[in-house]
Amino acid sequence: MSTVLSLAGVRKTYGDLNALDGIDLSLPDDSYVSLLGPSGSGKTTLLRVIAGFETPEAGTVSFKGERVETVPPHLRDIGFVFQNFALFPHLSVEKNIAFGLENRVENPITDASVVKTKVRDIIGLVGLAGLEDRAVTQISGGQKQRVALARTLVTEPSLVLLDEPLGALDANLRTRMLTELRRIRQRCGVTFLHVTGSETEALAMGDTVLVLDQGRIAQAADADTIYNEPKSVAVARFLNCYNLFSGAPSDGRFAGPDGQFPLGAEKRFSSAVPGYAIRYDRVGIRPLDAPVAADEVSLPATFVADEYSGPAVNSFFQLENGRVVEVETHLSVAPAPRCKPHARYALVWKQNDALVYA
Amino acid sequence: MSVSATTSETEVMTEPVRKSSNKSVWLITPGVIWMLLFLVAPMLMMVYVSFWTQTTFKITPDLTTKSWVTFFTSETYLNSLWTTIRIWLIVLAATLIVGYPAALFVGLFVKNKTLQTALLVLCVIPFWTSFLIRVLAWRPMLGKEGAINLILMKLHIIQQPIEVLLFSELSVVIGMTQIYCVFMVGPIAFMMGRVDQSIIEAAQDLGAGFWRIFRTINLPLTMPGVVVGAIFVSVMVLGEFATAAALSGRKVNLLGNIIVTQVGSLKWAFAAVVGVVLTVLMGIVVAGLLRVVDLKKEL
Amino acid sequence: MQAGGIKLTLGVYIALFLTFLYAPLMVLAILSFQIGPEGGPQFPIIEWSTYWYQHLFGLTPPSRIAPLPIKEALFRSLALAIMTMIVSTVLGVSAAQAFRKRFRGQNFVFYLIVLGMMVPGVLVGLGMALVSNELGVARHWWGTAFVLHVVYTFPFAFLVMLAIFNRFDQSVEEAAWSLGVSPARTFRKVTFPLIFPGVLSAMLFAFTLSYDEFSRTLFASGRDLTLPLAIYGTFSVEVHPNVFAFGVLTTLFSFALLSVYAILMMLSMRRAKRIAIQEEA
Repeated sequence: MSTVLSLAGVRKTYGDLNALDGIDLSLPDDSYVSLLGPSGSGKTTLLRVIAGFETPEAGTVSFKGERVETVPPHLRDIGFVFQNFALFPHLSVEKNIAFGLENRVENPITDASVVKTKVRDIIGLVGLAGLEDRAVTQISGGQKQRVALARTLVTEPSLVLLDEPLGALDANLRTRMLTELRRIRQRCGVTFLHVTGSETEALAMGDTVLVLDQGRIAQAADADTIYNEPKSVAVARFLNCYNLFSGAPSDGRFAGPDGQFPLGAEKRFSSAVPGYAIRYDRVGIRPLDAPVAADEVSLPATFVADEYSGPAVNSFFQLENGRVVEVETHLSVAPAPRCKPHARYALVWKQNDALVYA
Repeated sequence: MSVSATTSETEVMTEPVRKSSNKSVWLITPGVIWMLLFLVAPMLMMVYVSFWTQTTFKITPDLTTKSWVTFFTSETYLNSLWTTIRIWLIVLAATLIVGYPAALFVGLFVKNKTLQTALLVLCVIPFWTSFLIRVLAWRPMLGKEGAINLILMKLHIIQQPIEVLLFSELSVVIGMTQIYCVFMVGPIAFMMGRVDQSIIEAAQDLGAGFWRIFRTINLPLTMPGVVVGAIFVSVMVLGEFATAAALSGRKVNLLGNIIVTQVGSLKWAFAAVVGVVLTVLMGIVVAGLLRVVDLKKEL
Repeated sequence: MQAGGIKLTLGVYIALFLTFLYAPLMVLAILSFQIGPEGGPQFPIIEWSTYWYQHLFGLTPPSRIAPLPIKEALFRSLALAIMTMIVSTVLGVSAAQAFRKRFRGQNFVFYLIVLGMMVPGVLVGLGMALVSNELGVARHWWGTAFVLHVVYTFPFAFLVMLAIFNRFDQSVEEAAWSLGVSPARTFRKVTFPLIFPGVLSAMLFAFTLSYDEFSRTLFASGRDLTLPLAIYGTFSVEVHPNVFAFGVLTTLFSFALLSVYAILMMLSMRRAKRIAIQEEA
């Protein structure tokens, strides 16, 4: 697979804020890349720089082997799907989709029948048949999303940027559109860069997942690696499935305000911010006096409450110092823990399930 | 489309920024040039000419303060300055007194949005008649045999027609008040509409009466509207001459009228002096009004 | 209740207020139907007639009352208003478009433009007359007066467009660019159709302000009269009901213009809806 887009050292500031603080990344051809970042991490700015709506203050943007920092957006051959869809409100569904084909600078299509064929094909692909003449103000959110996508795809860009494309849809529709997006991308064979603030969406969608933190790419890897081996405390925090403890390793143990965890077979990552992470579903709940094996870590805590989410139960415990620790029990693997409120338990995990950053 | 990799970093980075601001410059330049040439230059010319030497029918660019001395020593000119200020203050007060209750009613008591809009539209419709026609329309109203005298006599309220109604300072004030009060009503009604209804309800629950609520809530909150209205009215009244020309029978001479007559007799330098005085007066008034209420903060 | 009484009082007041606004125009309209040429501009109405309307169009036998010079004046006023409307709308739209991006000196430019609607006509008129005297440029309604009209109406067009662009969602333009459409074509095909109602309002403002403008025109137009100047000329002489008849006609013309504007506005808003209605039917 060749690289379609690569950025090196890209910077962009807004006043005092470093929106992008040295971005390095490269996107492979024909793949689905998701970009995960919390709000304010600069993800929209990054997309806008790639699309050409903003100019970086430093660094290079190369697209299909050519430098494009100074190329205006309409000559970049990069599609953009907006969070608010940004459909042309004065045009019908069909005219919206045909707009790029008819009006673009490079290679505009003047033959109405060719336009019609292409538009019909793409309408079929995204599942909008029958709505061609509808005004875009008169269709549902999911349909608007499809129009936005079709409008971009019909111009056959080499890269499509999607800025939180599902953010404006309700939860039900979101799940359906996730599958749709993957299917449509595979059919078109272009690279999608899908920006989202939702970790589940990012992990579900991306062949490659990029994690953006404070204007930098914190990690770029496949979903499995990101999920199991987040490279830094920040990445682990965004994934929203790790208990994170501050502190520092010393004398064979990780010591911090929440407790002392013996070290041994854990995975180690070098990181500027030290920390200790254990995934919610790697923690077991045992009676306080149950035996603890040599390769295990035990942490006493008081049960607070639990939350059923269907396939799993999330239980919340409180440490002496008030810190909350979360435990996820998958009901397909273990029975639901039935903890007594205010009772004390031992939270136990294997040393080699822990991730240590130092 | 490609940018050679050897292009130096700074060049690559600064170019697009310059390009985008260039576009703005091209879009704004025609308008700016237009205003500089046809607004600022004429005003500066007026200041300049006010120091020229005036002979009977022409002016020469020999600098002198003679026209200025003439202005400030002539009773006619000083009187007209005083008249302008007096008429302005009276009309300003009149538009406020006439307009505020109307705005109060429209903005506060008319809850129905359609009716509210309809009432405001009714206030604006007279503007669709020519300004001069509206001024002229007061003549058959106020004249000795005009509608008002006619009605008052029919009702036996008066035996003799009131002659002071037309061709007097009063007729100028009445005419200007009618024409300009809408500029007071609009901004005040707008601010009145923005007063949060729940504040008023809360005050009512606490047992505050109408006047107390009005004094402590509505009045302060509509002050910016009053100031905006006052700026509109002031700017227009100070620059007026047509109403006085039509309704005063040459009895009221505003600075604007002086300019018109001076130009008519080719006394350009005098006219320019009056123009500068009027400009300064207007600057002081607008600056003073803006000082009363900080508009940027209030709006 | 106390507020109820106040409400009633204010309700009566607003009726009086509207009477105050409308009564002179009503009287004017009634008196325009006075018999002519002997009937004067005052009550009582000797006999109802349309004499003064015929007088305006030169359909009455010649009398001691000179007809208003409206034919050429009307043409000049309309031409001037149309020229002013076009230029100030173009200037207003492009200036407002420039204001969408921040640039150095933006505040200064804003105040410079707004100054144009603040400075009284008699002052700019005087200044312009002085400038043209000095430069030896002849004053004409289509020259010196025209540029002053634009100075006056351009700020209104600018402010209207500024308000429109404030509510404009820029992402639709970016969407068009990302489809490969050039900024110029995007403006024509996307931005302009979307801001068109605003442009229409700016045009209406410019047209009516210019059509009714006379204090700037007075000093700057030379000897050819525009319509407001023709009316202004009657101020110093005896007024006859023909001026009133003329007032009624200009008011009707204004309403016709307003109706055209309203219809255009409704059409541009309905276009989108019509498609939807067809679809639902």
